[in-house]
Amino acid sequence: MVAGWRRLLTGVAGFALMLLLVSSWRRTPVVASSSGSERAAGNSVPQYLSPVALQLSSDGRWLYVVCEDGDRVLAVDTRTRRVARQVRVGHTPRGIAISPDGKKLYVSNEWDGTVTEIDAESLRTLRTLQTGAGPVEITTDRAGKVLYVANTLGDDVSLIDLATGSEIKRLDAGHFPEYLALSRDGRRIYVANLLVRGPYNQPPTSELTVIDPDKQRVTARIAIPGVIQLRHIAELPASAGGALLVPFMRPKNLNPLVQVRQGWYLTHGIAVIRPTSQSAEGVQKFQVAEVLLDDIDHYYADGFGSAATPDGRWALVTASGANIVSIVDTAKLSRALRAAPPSQPEALANRLDLARQFVVQRLRTGRNPTAVVVSPDSRFAYIANRMDDTLSVIDLGTMQMAATIDLGGPKAITHLRHGQRLFYSASRSEQGQMACATCHPHGGLSDGLAWSLETPQLGRDVVENKTLLGIDGTSPFKWNGKNPDLETQDGPRSASYIFRSQGFSHAEVKDLAGFILSLRLPPSPNLARNGQLTEAQARGQEIFFRGRTNAGVLIPPQDRCYYCHAPVSHYTSRVLMNVGTATRYDTIYAFDVPQLEGVAMKPPYLHNGEAQDLEEIWTKFNPDDKHGITSDMDKVQLNDLIEFLKTL
Amino acid sequence: MRIAAQLRKVSSQWRALLGAGLLVLAAAGAAAQNPPLYTKWVNYTQANGFPAGEVFCVTVDGSRVWAGTEHGLVLLEDGRVKKIFTTADGMVSNAVMSVAVDKQTGDVWIATFGGASVYSAGQFRNYTSLSSGLANDLVYGVAVQGKYVWLATTAGASRLNTYNGSWSIFNETNAPFQEPWAYSIAVSAKKVYIAAWGGGVVVYDIAGQYWRPYTDPDGEMEIVLYRNQGLIHNIVSSVSYNPDTKMFWASTYFGLSGYDGRNWHNYLTKDSGLISNFINGVQSRGNEVWACTQGGLSELDYKTNTWVTYRPDRKTGRGEVLITYPDGKKSRMETPTSLAHNYILNMDFQGKDIWVATAQGLSHGIRQP
Repeated sequence: MVAGWRRLLTGVAGFALMLLLVSSWRRTPVVASSSGSERAAGNSVPQYLSPVALQLSSDGRWLYVVCEDGDRVLAVDTRTRRVARQVRVGHTPRGIAISPDGKKLYVSNEWDGTVTEIDAESLRTLRTLQTGAGPVEITTDRAGKVLYVANTLGDDVSLIDLATGSEIKRLDAGHFPEYLALSRDGRRIYVANLLVRGPYNQPPTSELTVIDPDKQRVTARIAIPGVIQLRHIAELPASAGGALLVPFMRPKNLNPLVQVRQGWYLTHGIAVIRPTSQSAEGVQKFQVAEVLLDDIDHYYADGFGSAATPDGRWALVTASGANIVSIVDTAKLSRALRAAPPSQPEALANRLDLARQFVVQRLRTGRNPTAVVVSPDSRFAYIANRMDDTLSVIDLGTMQMAATIDLGGPKAITHLRHGQRLFYSASRSEQGQMACATCHPHGGLSDGLAWSLETPQLGRDVVENKTLLGIDGTSPFKWNGKNPDLETQDGPRSASYIFRSQGFSHAEVKDLAGFILSLRLPPSPNLARNGQLTEAQARGQEIFFRGRTNAGVLIPPQDRCYYCHAPVSHYTSRVLMNVGTATRYDTIYAFDVPQLEGVAMKPPYLHNGEAQDLEEIWTKFNPDDKHGITSDMDKVQLNDLIEFLKTL
Repeated sequence: MRIAAQLRKVSSQWRALLGAGLLVLAAAGAAAQNPPLYTKWVNYTQANGFPAGEVFCVTVDGSRVWAGTEHGLVLLEDGRVKKIFTTADGMVSNAVMSVAVDKQTGDVWIATFGGASVYSAGQFRNYTSLSSGLANDLVYGVAVQGKYVWLATTAGASRLNTYNGSWSIFNETNAPFQEPWAYSIAVSAKKVYIAAWGGGVVVYDIAGQYWRPYTDPDGEMEIVLYRNQGLIHNIVSSVSYNPDTKMFWASTYFGLSGYDGRNWHNYLTKDSGLISNFINGVQSRGNEVWACTQGGLSELDYKTNTWVTYRPDRKTGRGEVLITYPDGKKSRMETPTSLAHNYILNMDFQGKDIWVATAQGLSHGIRQP
């Protein structure tokens, strides 16, 4: 009877939520005047905060909030629910950890490649620690002696000795490790990788990397099939089964876009991972199951934060594109999983009718909810709302929203901020299936997948997703170069074929395009801060600009690297070129020349993503020298050329 | 009765050895100090489920032993075969020529005849000349030095910076390689030693970032003009650095050479206890120098200049132990068990024990007290 009422209430709440989403979709936001040109001219522009990471003190009194656009950390008094103190940190802070004694905070600065150590009480900066490239989430070990840092651009984890402040070593993770977590017993550190490596024509497999902090070694690499974008890791206590819950996106990128059944072309859910046995060679094995948090008629796009109550009864997962937090009854989740045949752990992975069995509440949050934490006494959960500079407070006793904490960001909404909100919102897509950020995670990256987007050809013209970082001045867009500008790219055609909706209004498209064009590439970790090239990079630069082969033969201008990848326009000539890479599955032969800036951070390569590494562009896919004259180059030269490209 | 009579004449150490199964057939140098001996061998061959054919390399990692064969990479733990890894498991090739364990990360780097693989927490990641900056897919040697992985290939030495993924190639165009065919790599904290086929030993100074070649002063001639003149021959099959003595040792197909930073120390069969000048590999620690030859496994006690060679007796199938004392006197003994084959390719240490890669199986040498 109670369950029946709950289902009814959930249904009513869901309907109300849909109305709310539709109404907010149509509501014209307040937009203050602020454009890219104003920003460029140095005029004062609002400094938004964009909270993305949270850390509670052990007694739950203080909530530390990392603000990626504000380059600062705020200390919120959970009693007064006000910001009490704040401190500026490095460029684009993304993660936070607290020492076991609660006296120090560690904040990663993604664009600086550093961690700022802060006194937790005074918020005074103590020192700056060097990390690998693109640090995001961090944690200490159980003793607080070693800091573990997920380096997104380095594909590894830095181990930093907190006594000396120096890096001990780096452990190879999967691809683009973003979030990590220390297990409750302190015996493992789990690392969630955002992206995947693998053949372009196969379904993706994500990796959850497991580190033994005592041995300081990787002890397992858990394969999570069919999904990408693993994010925050929540661990249930042993009394509740001890499983890990990790949000994911499940793409069906190899299906033609017209695929409709079972979640169209992408869904959102969580991986449920349990340690099982050891293999013969001593590697810890894990059992992996996947369940969707989406419903049949509505999606909860872009799972991001996850947290469990101390007793493990409830788990909370934020849907950053849907402005929703889903509350999962973990006992019901276990029961649902037990219904799956043990031999087919993926049997539930496409079931859109399953979430209703274990999702007991969907609460509306602020815009773009990211991280979520639960207070030590299990009374409250706090959610960082990146796009409106607030925190949502959930009363876990009533399972209702208790309060919203204003972090003090600007109230005026600029066109850029409006465009940013649109970028992260799934409200413009049919049934809330996806946002721009769904396929362009981490602020505009490519998801690294090849997608079958061209509906008329039904499976032909599979193209690799492009990055959105640093694309200003690189038009036209799309691999076929048909979109002269972003307004076209994101206009009615995208609405029809991708979002399957009315899409964005003219004004919205303008703001969205403005925001996308404002996205910048992070500094290349392969280039010295003073811009000085290494010997190999300098040799590679000479090869890039060479006009003669090794034999001294003149290379026709159109066969030189810089002809198509012109440095004056972001290393692209902005035209279509046939470089011999079309396959029998393509209906066109010439493709838009991609810009090379940031090329090292966006594998795979070529229009269909069939080159997994830069080397393969020339070693496998340029047999006839149509992609520049390269066949005379030896491996030393090719390595040098790649070293140069990695500096761009 | 005869054995009992001999026993009364030998020292207590020899009694212990006999108790372990050692038969003393001739002991001309019994009065001299004898080195510790390996008198018990446990072999892993096709007969007991090991891959057939040559074992190219063996690398000890604590209680684990990695053996590279033509048919895959064998993992042994506590003396038992735990797993035979092949391409079916994701490894790049089955012909495994060399294995190095990164002591920092625990990752296992594997040199094969189809490229290089790294085995990390149950998964392989592969590197070939088509998909990475690796110079060539015929990889003979691998070593880990800090964040760098060095690989010996037929087209030079490749170096991977595991922190940023950068590849460097060193060959005749940018380093003093007379020949780019690199056979083996050894590392110390300060230097990288590369055995080059036809090019001697090429040494890279890490801090100074410069190369220095060590070659045979008389060039390609397969003679030695005078003793300790320099590297014994330019065809170097293997190189080993000894952190205890700070010496590096080079095995050639024409004798054994060691360099202490000032002087060379060369050994030939004609003037030492080395069983064969055709040496496939060399390892060194403390005062021990081990030469893996085509005729058996020879050990030099560098301090006492005492040689011990282990090989199977082809007639009896038992083990032969040949000792050459500093004064040139020799003794011969037999052991009930022996190395799997006299053609030795590689060896490594596991505490007091040794593991030996032979042409027909892997051998575990157990030192008796």
